[in-house]
Amino acid sequence: MSDPILRAAHISKHYTIGERRAIVLNDISMQLEAGEFAVISGASGSGKTTLLTVLSGLDKPSNGRVWLDTQDITDFDENRLAPLRNRLIGFVFQAFHLVPSLTSMENIMFPAELNRDPDATEKASQLLHRVGLWEQRHNRPEQLSGGEKQRVAICRALINNPQLVFADEPTGNLDSENSREVVELLLELQQEFNTTLLLATHSSEISDRADRVLSLHDGRLVDNGYRQ
Amino acid sequence: MMIHYRFLLEELRYGGKQVITFVICVALSIATLTALNSFRRDVHGSLIDEARELQGGDIIIHAHQPISDKLQLAVDSLAQQNYLKQQKTFEFYTVVLSEIKDSSLLSSIKAVESAYPFFGTITLTSGLQLGEALEPGTVVVAQEVLDRLDRAIGDRLIIGDVAFTIADVVAFESMRPVSFLSFGPRIFISMTDLDQLGLLGRGSRVEHELLLQLSEPGDAEDITKILSASAVPRVERVETAASARSRVRTFFDNLLFFLSCISILTLMLSGIGMQGSLSAILYQKQKVIAVTKAFGASNRFLLTQYLIMVSFMGAFGSLIGIGLGYTIKRLFPLLLGDLVPQGVGYAFHPADTLEGIVLGILVVTVFTLLPLHRLGTVKPVMIFRHETGAAKRQAAPIITGIICSLFLSLLVIRQIDDVKIGIFFVLGLVLLIATVSLTASACLWLLKRAPLPTLALRQAAKSLYRPGNASRSIIVTLTSAISVLLVIFLLKLNLFATFIESYPENAPNLFCIDIQQDQKDLFQAVVGEEVLLFPVIRARLLSINDQPIDPVQERERKTDNLGREFNLTYRENLLDDEIIIGGNSLFEGTERLPPGVVALSVLDSIAEIGEIELDDRMRFNIQGVEIEAQVTSIRSRTESRLYPFFYFVFEPATLEAAPQTFFSAIHLPRELIPDMITAIVAQLPNVSTINVADVADRFGQLMKRLSVVITFFASFSIMAGCLILISTIFATRLDRIRETVYYKVLGADSNFVLLVLTCEHAMLALFSSIMAVIFAEVAAWLICTTVFNIVYQPHWYVAGLTVVCSIVLVIMIGLTSSFGIIQQRPAVYLRQQNGT
Ligand SMILES: Nc1ncnc2c1ncn2[C@@H]1O[C@H](COP(=O)(O)OP(=O)(O)O)[C@@H](O)[C@H]1O
Ligand SMILES: [Mg+2]
Repeated sequence: MSDPILRAAHISKHYTIGERRAIVLNDISMQLEAGEFAVISGASGSGKTTLLTVLSGLDKPSNGRVWLDTQDITDFDENRLAPLRNRLIGFVFQAFHLVPSLTSMENIMFPAELNRDPDATEKASQLLHRVGLWEQRHNRPEQLSGGEKQRVAICRALINNPQLVFADEPTGNLDSENSREVVELLLELQQEFNTTLLLATHSSEISDRADRVLSLHDGRLVDNGYRQ
Repeated sequence: MMIHYRFLLEELRYGGKQVITFVICVALSIATLTALNSFRRDVHGSLIDEARELQGGDIIIHAHQPISDKLQLAVDSLAQQNYLKQQKTFEFYTVVLSEIKDSSLLSSIKAVESAYPFFGTITLTSGLQLGEALEPGTVVVAQEVLDRLDRAIGDRLIIGDVAFTIADVVAFESMRPVSFLSFGPRIFISMTDLDQLGLLGRGSRVEHELLLQLSEPGDAEDITKILSASAVPRVERVETAASARSRVRTFFDNLLFFLSCISILTLMLSGIGMQGSLSAILYQKQKVIAVTKAFGASNRFLLTQYLIMVSFMGAFGSLIGIGLGYTIKRLFPLLLGDLVPQGVGYAFHPADTLEGIVLGILVVTVFTLLPLHRLGTVKPVMIFRHETGAAKRQAAPIITGIICSLFLSLLVIRQIDDVKIGIFFVLGLVLLIATVSLTASACLWLLKRAPLPTLALRQAAKSLYRPGNASRSIIVTLTSAISVLLVIFLLKLNLFATFIESYPENAPNLFCIDIQQDQKDLFQAVVGEEVLLFPVIRARLLSINDQPIDPVQERERKTDNLGREFNLTYRENLLDDEIIIGGNSLFEGTERLPPGVVALSVLDSIAEIGEIELDDRMRFNIQGVEIEAQVTSIRSRTESRLYPFFYFVFEPATLEAAPQTFFSAIHLPRELIPDMITAIVAQLPNVSTINVADVADRFGQLMKRLSVVITFFASFSIMAGCLILISTIFATRLDRIRETVYYKVLGADSNFVLLVLTCEHAMLALFSSIMAVIFAEVAAWLICTTVFNIVYQPHWYVAGLTVVCSIVLVIMIGLTSSFGIIQQRPAVYLRQQNGT
């Protein structure tokens, strides 16, 4: 079998607030195989976001190590992480986090432009057509609805054809209709682009569709295994 | 009124840096205004309000020749009717010698009667009255005379041909409140000794004064009118003490005017700072305000709370400002030194404190009304739409705007004490802001569409066009701040370039005046080498093109006035430093002039003042003889320096026969000048000498002093300017942090992030500083040419330096304000973003 695309060994994360030390992640080990769709489930405040940021290199674990595509990124500085964030992984956030000064088109193109991809415009146009937002290509984030924003965010995460996409409660800010659409889109695109998807959610509806569900509880991760 | 204490406390706490900025801005403006106004009141109190003390009488009659019989009769008859008492004084500069004629000193001699003065005080070190100490054959001198000639009380001095015993020393003279405006220290002599000096008859420039004390001081205006009717027009000046111009008053009027302008600029900058920081506070709180409103808080509730907050900050700032103003005033002796008139104190009066409080209230109101007004426009809907940037600006409510500008105009007019200039000031400001903000919008629009070569540049340009568009207000703020500072600097440079020119090495440095016709050979012999002697004929200008010169109006001029006595000369050639700028030669076409009209060459500077053109007719009175002249050429000087020049040059034939004296300019090694003066005066007691090197030195020192004063006051503007720079950039920091975090999440490395930040700030600064340079150059040019009447030099290198410095400074502040995020993992920052 090929190497796992993501591996974490004994990671923990704690925050110190004043005298108190809150342990959010406690000795977590896990790995993801290429192409799979895994869900991290857990109640609000259970540490899902924290775990995703640590796994993706947006944050450092207090202890333990993280490998992305066989590289140990735990102690990488920001400049070494930059190309990984640009090409190897993609992010979709609950709060969208689109660049407010850019239009949808420009937001989607941005990672490709950073990567000096000559086909950036073409790829972005295709994606915009694909998600049905061609008409809104010149709208800035403030001129888009929540569902539209999240679709733009998904395109942006995928434009450099990453091997791994992190999605942190991508439907958390959306109504049920839009949620369904966004999940459908994510899954379809995951198939089309053949990427690995790690999605955090507290919704069982989404977990039901995952290849594999990891549940986070009291800072520990329980692997519920693959679904048959 | 409902005060919600917890709400207020929270607001103040979270306002953080912006609250501090606001308070400092208030403090800076109040400090400069109160310190300066307090000083101004003191100076006015001792110079202007105590005019009689300064002038020595209720009415002063002034002439450069003996008072005419007609006027003297008029005075005598009023004296006989007990309307007034009179006394005469004579004042002139001359070089006095020590008894053995080994050292000399240019001094200001004043011959007085025993009752001198009617008003004002002269304190002698012995404690005696001047009249008691000053017996015939003695002099009372300033301490400087003893120091410079190395003499003591009891020693003897030689004035003219006569030796005097030094009887006493003057400690204070209210008629002479500052020493820096005169060329030599004071020596009093008794009126009875004047005749034997032998100085008066021989062309010495003596000021004759008649001081009048009225039995009814209220009659001053009427008596002045009566006496003026008997005075020789243009020659004899009859003035009340209150209206008499003196060099001291003119000097302080100008100095205070300039400082007031600077204090107004500080006020403007601080105002912008206040407005900016308050806007930033409200901007940070926008969501909170929206939420508060959504939960039912009325506009009035919020307005009340923020009003109280602003008043609190304003009061605090004003208090600090008053304290600071007090401190500044204490520093004045250090700062101004002998520029401060004797008798002016450094106390900070209750009135000053009161003014500080009133100004504080006014200033805070003027500059916070608009941001507070905008509070009402925040809509609860903002919680639902994640709008970034400032609330959509509604056209500033007209009434609020009008009230603000009205208050502001009043403040400015009061401060500069000149309605016209005050209105120009405010209009200029409005024009500046309007133009800058329009141009800024246009440029941002262009920039957005410009095809930029790299992603970083494009990104920087786009971030300037962020929703909410804070860039425009940053540009307006930066431009105003930079242009104000540059204007002050350019004015200073130009004033100094005009007034302190380094004195050229080989230029003449000893001027000798009043050499008589029969003394020419003796003078040559004393000096020991062939020297040029310029003839000098004293005359008055009567009319230009039959338009009579009005002496009263002329005295109002800030430049040279046409009513004064002029020195005419005659020669056939141009001097080395002259060129002809109007006409072809000095006296072109003389032969075509009608009989009785003579040719005249005029210097461009006086031509400008009198609006004199080629072929204009000018009528002069040369000691009783009138001549009519036609302008045949206009000359200009190629170097503006302390060198003798003549406004009016005639043909030799015209003036050769007129009563004249000679003037000579000599160059000597500096250290030989004092001995040469001693030698000349010992042989030719009536000749006045001016040690130009010495005068230039004194002038240079005065200018340095002034420079320190101006820089000191300007430094408050600079502080306010820097504060604005920092606070505006910090205020929009959140937007930049957000974008930086997003770039990083999407895979940008630190080079890219730094590049975008640098480009963004560079664009802001480049644009603002270029606009500022244009504005500052125009404004400084206007002020120099209209207010100060001096030649303007743009000093482009300073402008260039300003642009470079602003860019560097803005980039530095911009980078430091967002540096933390570059080296850290973005998770923490990401969590803080509400998202878009
Ligand atoms: N920067 C931080 N400092 C202190 N505590 C934090 C910080 N970030 C997150 N936490 C805490 O960590 C816990 C997990 O948060 P989070 O990962 O956001 O949970 P979830 O995404 O599952 O809702 C929460 O209790 C939260 O309060
Ligand atoms: Mg979360």
